[in-house]
Amino acid sequence: MSQTITIDPVTRLEGHGKITIQLNDQGQVEDAHFHVTQVRGFERFSEGRPFYEMPSLMARICGICPVSHLIASARACEAIMSVRIPYTAAQLRRMLNLAQMVQSHALSFFYLSSPDLLLGMESDPKMRNIFGVVGAKPELGRAGIGLRRFGQHIIELLGNKRIHPGWVVPGGVTEPLAPAKRDEILAMIPEAYANIALALTAYKQIADTFKSEIEVYANFPSNYMSLVNEDDSIEFTVGALRMIDAKGDIIEDGILADRFPEVIGEAVEPYSYTKFAYYKPLGYPNGSYRVGPLARLNIAKSMGTPLADKELAEFKQLASGPVAASFHYHYARLIEVLYGIEKIEQILADPQILDSHVRATAGVNRLEGAGQAEAPRGTLHHHYKVDEDGKITWANLVIATGQNNNAMNKGVLQAAKHYVKDGKFTEGVLNRVEAVIRTFDPCLSCSTHAYGQMPLALTLLSADGKLVDQLIR
Amino acid sequence: MNLTPARCLILACGNTLRGDDGVGPFLAEWAERRFSDQAGVRVIARQQWTPELAEEIALAESVLFIDCSVQSAAGSLEVVPVKPSAPAQGLATHHIGAAELLDLGRELFDSLPRTALMLTVGAGSTELSEEFSEPVRAALPEACRLLEETVLQMLDGDASKSGTHY
Repeated sequence: MSQTITIDPVTRLEGHGKITIQLNDQGQVEDAHFHVTQVRGFERFSEGRPFYEMPSLMARICGICPVSHLIASARACEAIMSVRIPYTAAQLRRMLNLAQMVQSHALSFFYLSSPDLLLGMESDPKMRNIFGVVGAKPELGRAGIGLRRFGQHIIELLGNKRIHPGWVVPGGVTEPLAPAKRDEILAMIPEAYANIALALTAYKQIADTFKSEIEVYANFPSNYMSLVNEDDSIEFTVGALRMIDAKGDIIEDGILADRFPEVIGEAVEPYSYTKFAYYKPLGYPNGSYRVGPLARLNIAKSMGTPLADKELAEFKQLASGPVAASFHYHYARLIEVLYGIEKIEQILADPQILDSHVRATAGVNRLEGAGQAEAPRGTLHHHYKVDEDGKITWANLVIATGQNNNAMNKGVLQAAKHYVKDGKFTEGVLNRVEAVIRTFDPCLSCSTHAYGQMPLALTLLSADGKLVDQLIR
Repeated sequence: MNLTPARCLILACGNTLRGDDGVGPFLAEWAERRFSDQAGVRVIARQQWTPELAEEIALAESVLFIDCSVQSAAGSLEVVPVKPSAPAQGLATHHIGAAELLDLGRELFDSLPRTALMLTVGAGSTELSEEFSEPVRAALPEACRLLEETVLQMLDGDASKSGTHY
């Protein structure tokens, strides 16, 4: 008799999702799906709003990566205005985006995933949280909290708010950087370096103990896409997109935001409110690809900062071509944190960083505009159409989670086939399947908002819907 | 991060879009104005309390947490001591309570504030709204007075008047 296992909701993610695992008559895993179960309405309720409101409106989609939405949205608005923002404004935005990346990656690695990595995938679920990490490795707990504060404090200093800062506007930023704020950020940098060095050392000590997870956590050939600079270095805020195939060969390059819809399509599956992005020339699902830290490091040939470049060279040794094991998203995330700290330090040393010219102004000069940026978890694309008065008539957002959707689903199936045997599962097995999703650090909050606790119930149902077994935590 | 420890840290929690849940940020704003020229008083308002606050809490001489309470009668005021407490099962990553924050600060930084109190205002409604319910609106003057009195006691090193109900 075939059976279905449901994990609902998946814990330690940004937002709500569930997993179902379909077993066949022999109790072997036949299929598995990752479902995003709530709908986002931002595209619709932005219709009719003035375009210049869009950055602050779109930032409300997410409490974790509002800065990426701010930047992608502002860039879409600047396409409508047909303006180029001042150099200093671009540098300040870059710093803001990197600060967000640091705090978001710290949240993902230390708060959400390190309980699995440090305490074990099958450790006591009561301890699998930041308190458990603090108990086992207090120095890592302090490092994680310190890095998150580092990023958040920079966002607060620049945007005057930790969450949903309104500093980024169409045309640039609202105010220049004050010398006192620059000095305050510089004073935090030595501690941030110490914290990420500690984390990288600790990660490298334990990574080799996860051979099975590296093997079966969404480990398969795929395409990858991310922003990259003209000199092939990593980029988060400007630049054009590049797509490579599983061998590392470039299959599409120089994808500016206005070309994105020509190249990327969105498929719909009946089991999820999140769409499935794909590379149009290859069709769906063959054109599926991965985005985020793993993709960025697979595509970039350099980080452009000395310490992160050393780490990138080590990362590239993990495979002869692109690194396919999604478990290595964790390592890629830590390398990007190191890069973020170095790059912020470089930006603050720029003699023009205190310049007061930080905003360009214009009205509606085009009726359509698109913008893109790298959010911590991958490429983010905003696309708007306006009327002659600048009111939004249509909007579409393609978020990183949608672009990783196919890979997450394949990864869940791969792990479930490996760990669920003969229809039997334990809480630890359940956690391993969830941990596949956590490697991607999906931001379901871009679709929905989490509220309160996230209890987890896994149920095993027979084909006729009868309850066979249940685990609740 | 190098922090100058606060003599009195006021740490409010709440969402100004959820009716009476916004009373914490309201009182934080009031405290910011009232104690603007008072050295050693630091005011922080957050929608949710998160682990990053642990260091500031651990190093502060005294901490006054402020939140609304859905368990108390609408408009009722309470000042109660807070003891560090290990988290319960199912801890949420994005929000932890005052007792857990004290515990986390102790674990990580081996330090606790000399005094930790919680001022709560009983909530009448936490539905979507930027307005307070009538009982909470009526309680605001007394809440401000109680907040002022508690902070001044903390600064004097005399916060023995804890566990007060109004």
